[in-house]
Amino acid sequence: MSAWKYKRLTPKVIVSRLRLIDHRDIVKLCNKKLEDASSMLMKTPYRPEIVGISSQQLDSASFEKALVKNFIRTCNEVIKCSPSDVRSLLLAILMKFEVSNVKTMLRAKEAGASVDQAMGFVTSAGKLDDAACRKILEDSNSVEELVDALADFEYGAALKEALSEYEESETIRALEVALDRFVYGRVWKATARLKGLDGKIARAVLGVEIDSTNVKIVLRCKTMRVSENQTRSYLVASSDAFAENDWEDAIRAADVKSTLGVLLGAARCAFARDQLYMLTDILREYESSRSLSQLEMVLDRSLLGISLRMLKRYTAFFNIGAVLAFLNLKWFEVRNLRAIVHGIESRIPPDRITKMLILP
Amino acid sequence: MSVDLAVIHPTRLELLRLKRRRALAQGIADILKKDYDALVMALFEFVRKIPSLRRQMREALVEAYSSFVESQMIAGPRKIDEVSWVCKPVDREVKVDVRKGVLGILLPTMEIVEENASAADPRFDLLETPMKLDEVVQDVGTALHHIVRLAEVQASMKEILEVMSLKRRQINRIEYKVLPQLDASIRYVGLILEETERQDAIRVRVLQRKRKERLQKTMEIPV
Repeated sequence: MSAWKYKRLTPKVIVSRLRLIDHRDIVKLCNKKLEDASSMLMKTPYRPEIVGISSQQLDSASFEKALVKNFIRTCNEVIKCSPSDVRSLLLAILMKFEVSNVKTMLRAKEAGASVDQAMGFVTSAGKLDDAACRKILEDSNSVEELVDALADFEYGAALKEALSEYEESETIRALEVALDRFVYGRVWKATARLKGLDGKIARAVLGVEIDSTNVKIVLRCKTMRVSENQTRSYLVASSDAFAENDWEDAIRAADVKSTLGVLLGAARCAFARDQLYMLTDILREYESSRSLSQLEMVLDRSLLGISLRMLKRYTAFFNIGAVLAFLNLKWFEVRNLRAIVHGIESRIPPDRITKMLILP
Repeated sequence: MSVDLAVIHPTRLELLRLKRRRALAQGIADILKKDYDALVMALFEFVRKIPSLRRQMREALVEAYSSFVESQMIAGPRKIDEVSWVCKPVDREVKVDVRKGVLGILLPTMEIVEENASAADPRFDLLETPMKLDEVVQDVGTALHHIVRLAEVQASMKEILEVMSLKRRQINRIEYKVLPQLDASIRYVGLILEETERQDAIRVRVLQRKRKERLQKTMEIPV
């Protein structure tokens, strides 16, 4: 732990965390109308993004874009204040949004959507800002040409490798999976570069995130009766807690409950406390509700819980735990606001919206 | 209601034949009425099913729609729209067949032919879409099942109503056309026969009188 290393980042994170919306105010928003929610959000750090939405186009899609833009801006501000090793990790995390733009462009090309149509779904992130995306979309007429246009980017090689599979299967699933594997692999590699307590915390938090992603993939494939080989190909990078054999056993397990049982056993053997908590929670939830969507909510909640637990386990300052916890809190705030705005727009009862929120 | 009486032979045999035909027509009308009653009962059975089927369909659609909205709330409406660009549409066929129903009427049966479950492939991006979206697909499938079931019942009702209207027409034809015609014919033949009997009786009386007169004449002539 080095206070000097975090001399700029810790104050930035503390101030940014103080500017997060109180969860009681978030719950109160569920009872508001869209216009009232908008004016309430104007008094928050989301103002610069929301002010650009005209009253005519006040809908959940515009809000979503504004909220995600705000999250990316906040990430960039945090990245600017970060020391180099933390910065590379945060850039890797932010790459998820860049890759999401790549996926949007691939989908647009596959579906034959127009450039303007596709640009409606793009949110500037990383190296792919609006202008770059527009240029790439205009210059390429097919998915193959798009992959060629992205060759100079970090994920260009991964896309190129998956191109043959795309040509065989004629679906962009292979390209999407290649991008996901690349991003999560990169995030995991970035955690390895961090030393000491930072490395430990980053591996714990992001390891749980990667594991929860893999758990979701396995469970979803299991309920959809996707073949074992296919399921294996969808898995993203593996964390320290589970070896490849554990995932193999989980994929081969007969049903959801036994899959969770296999992983629970593996987490117990690896002394992976956080994964153990997470899996125990979701097993309990699955036994009571038998619903995978509920289980997904529990996974998301435990992800946030683990980030916050790191702050209690170590200190809340001068380590990467505070940054990761803040980013997770911010992301879940964005998700909650997105859910609320869309819920209000679709006239969902406030109590039902509240149930969908992921609060600390 | 006109009856072509010219073609009817006013004989006792014809009268008997007409009475037999009337009894037969009355019997057919009674059977048709019983069939009609059976059809009404079958129709009511279907009618009773309709509200619950409509409720089930509405509930399934509401459930599917709210699941869809929830999945939009989780992943964001833009993302769901975007993912829908490339997701393969599900081909569901409705297999239409027939079964024997009440009175042997062929009633339609409809069934959704499910796609091949063994060749399952995730339809949506596994990382960017929530598990709720898979539930939406299932909920929509359930709603479709209810819609098809409702369509089947309504088609069966339509079929029964068509047969009922046919039976009603047949009953009406017998009750308001065939039977009155036969009654008129029977009455006509009866009247003719009565008239013939009366004429015969008069003729007999005249002949008897003439015979009597002849007999008196022969008695009066001296030998």
